[in-house]
Amino acid sequence: MATETDHGPGEAVAARIERRWATLSIVIVALLVGMAAVIGIHRATMPQARVETADPKTLHLSGEFIESNLGSAVEPDGSVTVRAIGQQYSFTPQCIVVPAETPITIRATSADVVHGFLIEGTNINTMLVPGYVSDLPVRFSAPGEHVMPCQEFCGIGHQGMWGKVKVVDRTAFLNMTAAKRRLTCAD
Amino acid sequence: MSDRPLFSPRNPWFSISVGVTAGIAVLSAIVGLVWLPLVQPNVKFSGLWDAICSAAGVPRAAVRDASLKPEFKTSGVVMTPQMLAGADQVSIGRGATLAQRCAICHGPQGVSDANSPNLAGQFAAVTYKELNDFKSGARASVVMVPFAAAMSDRDMKDVAAYYAYLPRVPSNNLDVGRPAPAIVVTGAPMRNIPPCGSCHGDIDNKAGSPWLGGQSAVYIKAQLEAFASGTRRNDISEQMRNIARQMTAEEIDQAAHFYEAQP
Repeated sequence: MATETDHGPGEAVAARIERRWATLSIVIVALLVGMAAVIGIHRATMPQARVETADPKTLHLSGEFIESNLGSAVEPDGSVTVRAIGQQYSFTPQCIVVPAETPITIRATSADVVHGFLIEGTNINTMLVPGYVSDLPVRFSAPGEHVMPCQEFCGIGHQGMWGKVKVVDRTAFLNMTAAKRRLTCAD
Repeated sequence: MSDRPLFSPRNPWFSISVGVTAGIAVLSAIVGLVWLPLVQPNVKFSGLWDAICSAAGVPRAAVRDASLKPEFKTSGVVMTPQMLAGADQVSIGRGATLAQRCAICHGPQGVSDANSPNLAGQFAAVTYKELNDFKSGARASVVMVPFAAAMSDRDMKDVAAYYAYLPRVPSNNLDVGRPAPAIVVTGAPMRNIPPCGSCHGDIDNKAGSPWLGGQSAVYIKAQLEAFASGTRRNDISEQMRNIARQMTAEEIDQAAHFYEAQP
């Protein structure tokens, strides 16, 4: 067995290098954790805060995803909740209408296979996984129209699955809610 | 190399590296399980433990708050791709007896020229679902509703199994040389119209979508128009209304006449 006196200076150099490598790896890990925190807080990655389940086979029978409850609803606090489903091969509502400059919660799920929920021109992009509810807080800054193609291959008719999102002026939206409690622009 | 033990708290290399790793893990856990959930704008947590469980992905059933109830009857059938597969001979035989009352419109062999649907070779799930919807009132028909009202679940399954068992018979309008219109082959993707065959059986079958070959053009056209105008609403979660609404009158006509000429 070797003794410490055999390589005095060598050991000191090795220890210094070890310390530097250790510091570097700690800095890298801290940077990655910091990045995850920053993009989570600024919602660049749209983290899902809750895991909620919904049976894909019975969405049309009861619960919040029945046909008459789909579309945009005004909440008591003035925000808007949009409920939608993806199915082979369309989104319902096929045309979503929302007000600009308003906090909006999108709640959506799938009735069969995995679909993709992507609104062009925004960073809204999530998967609709059968069995789970996707919940996204979003805000549209200006009126306009966006297309909403399914962006997960969902079957042989996938390329024909396109929805639309119409962002309208807040006052115009509130006027529409006087006549109907769940708004869509599908017909 | 010293002879001191490597994995020991007295080895500063060991204690410092384990300490720093554990520190990073605890810090990351606090960031990910407590801080990040609490800054989400759209979620209210009942407490710290709730936030931690939510961030860790503990599933919960979606909140069943006050949903707006429909003003009309919607289909109550649960559709799955495997449903009604593998009917037995007893079911088919029973269905054949029950189906005698259907023959006046749907033909003794499940095919007729009465502009009512040809049922021979139709997917069992389709016949079963429509009978259910007639019975529940989700689909209206002065002729079919009284028939369906008297049928039990077993009756519907047996009749569906019998018609699925019958071979498809080409209609009098068979014309396989007829060119397929673009709306049938490619649909119109930007208008949310996939190719008809991606659900209706030519390429793939979505449970509940009927086989269209040999059906009367008058019937197909009437149904597409009813879906488009919203007078027929028994398609689960608007799956057919979404598509029919986007079709032009000309496309509806083309699709109806094409499928009438198919086997």
